[in-house]
Amino acid sequence: MSSDTALRADALGKRFGLRGGWALRDCSFRLPAGRVCAVVGPNGAGKSTLLALAAGLTVPTEGSVTVLGTTPAAARPRVGYVAQDKPLYPQLTIAETLRMGADLNPGRWDAAGAEQVVAGGDLDPGARVRSLSGGQRTRVALALALGKRPELLLLDEPMADLDPLARHELMGTLMAQAAQYGTTIAMSSHVVAELEDSCDHLLLVGGGRIRLAGEIDDLLAAHLRVTGAGTPDALDAHTVVESRVTGRQLTALIRPAGALGDDWRTATPSLEELVLAHLRNPAAPALTAAGDAEDAATARNEEHAA
Amino acid sequence: MSAAAPALHRTVLRLHRTTLACWTLFVTAVLGWLGWLGGVSAPHIRHLETTCDPVRDLCNIPYLGWVYGERLGYVASVIGYGFLAVAAYAGGALIGRELENGTAALAWTQGVTPTRWLAAKLTVPALALTAGDGTLVAAFRWGWTPHRDLRLGDDWSFGGIFLARGPATPAYALCALAVGALTALLLRRTLPALAVSLGATGLLHLLLAHVRPYLWPRLTRTEPHPFELDNSAWEVARGRTAGGGHWATYHPPSHFWPLHLMETGIVLAVAALTTAAAFALVRRRTA
Repeated sequence: MSSDTALRADALGKRFGLRGGWALRDCSFRLPAGRVCAVVGPNGAGKSTLLALAAGLTVPTEGSVTVLGTTPAAARPRVGYVAQDKPLYPQLTIAETLRMGADLNPGRWDAAGAEQVVAGGDLDPGARVRSLSGGQRTRVALALALGKRPELLLLDEPMADLDPLARHELMGTLMAQAAQYGTTIAMSSHVVAELEDSCDHLLLVGGGRIRLAGEIDDLLAAHLRVTGAGTPDALDAHTVVESRVTGRQLTALIRPAGALGDDWRTATPSLEELVLAHLRNPAAPALTAAGDAEDAATARNEEHAA
Repeated sequence: MSAAAPALHRTVLRLHRTTLACWTLFVTAVLGWLGWLGGVSAPHIRHLETTCDPVRDLCNIPYLGWVYGERLGYVASVIGYGFLAVAAYAGGALIGRELENGTAALAWTQGVTPTRWLAAKLTVPALALTAGDGTLVAAFRWGWTPHRDLRLGDDWSFGGIFLARGPATPAYALCALAVGALTALLLRRTLPALAVSLGATGLLHLLLAHVRPYLWPRLTRTEPHPFELDNSAWEVARGRTAGGGHWATYHPPSHFWPLHLMETGIVLAVAALTTAAAFALVRRRTA
């Protein structure tokens, strides 16, 4: 397992209960180290399950997940995780919470860094966790996760209950950490726009499966939004993710397999368009292997050059 | 790299310091009560025995002795059945709440494996319970042994007194702790875990209390005529023989230790099995 891979899933599947449904099935992807990855998908898509599997909080029903080149259990000291509801011990003060982080992460704890994150929110270290607002809890939970100086940071809906100002400020803190220590960050959200500016890698989860995985630039480059007069079968040579006919006008999101005719107007889709098109059309084939995306992008570039 | 054990135990102590304070307060209060009963009440009755004239002073020594025995019986119940509170606490607050709130996951994503977390969560209360219950049992034995003749309606075979006089008390507490942990891990919710843990531990105790007289061979006495056993004997059964005689099976007071240790052994075995199951469950569920 190469050390430049932060997170790797191979045919990963998780089913809850013996007769329960699959929360996640047949997931394979690779997240290179040093990336900031958006884990996007609708509610109940399996994002939380995927992050919990990576954090070693639960075990796969099938397949495997490799974290920082090893098992989730062995990677535990090097991985930070913040759950969706930001659990903290309500009876502890902020200072005691950070002391717990120091006690439970010997040799790794960055007390100054953790205190700085807390101080950024103008929080009293003597305040009990139970007295904090949702946003303040998020800040303390992030301080605890950042304090262990993780190599991989898994954040489940980290910004959900923050006001725009705090969101901007904390995202800045996260990005500074990622830049300074080369931390790989995987954070989930069901709001694409929330992550678009800060992330360079995308993992789109829908219906328990990986729909898109790769560098955002590569994924965008591999798709085209085309508009023109014509019927859907005119695009049969390409992979059509979504197509819609309005009057005599056909609008489609495709993965071009070759050159398009001149009668099509083309545009690069936005990330949100790309995500929504894939979620609206579960039957559209997934584009997951990072290598495939690169190949497709390279092929297209070569075409343009030719 | 993983957290050093003292640091982990320090964290568990910090999280449950209120409970530890309550437990210390409880042990101290029961010790005080026992001290008062043994050091003030009993000597006072003894003093009245020699000084007061029932007609002149209207003192009723048997009644005073009965009240004293009754109060000692309450203490025995509080000590002997304290494990029920432990079961509720272990299933609810100690483990169940952590799984329901997700704070267990918080601990497991620090540098602590889930098994070491569970070990610390069980070791710290186990030590506190063993120390506290050990003290209480020693104190109860000190308070119960003398002045037997004063106390009416007080017998070594009574449930609370039977438990509070030996290691069965800490054994039941440890078993309740393990049952609470296992049910909490299975149910992952505070209130159901509290209720099931309490129910399961109570049921185990009821079952053992039911079979208690059969854990050691009984003595049998047969006589041609109806007879009464000695006051100190624990009568288990009585009947008529085919030849028209009378028989009774019973435990003399000397059977206390074999009976008590048999029950303690069974409870400790259940505690060990339950603990093993709890660890197996954590190991199977998490990476």
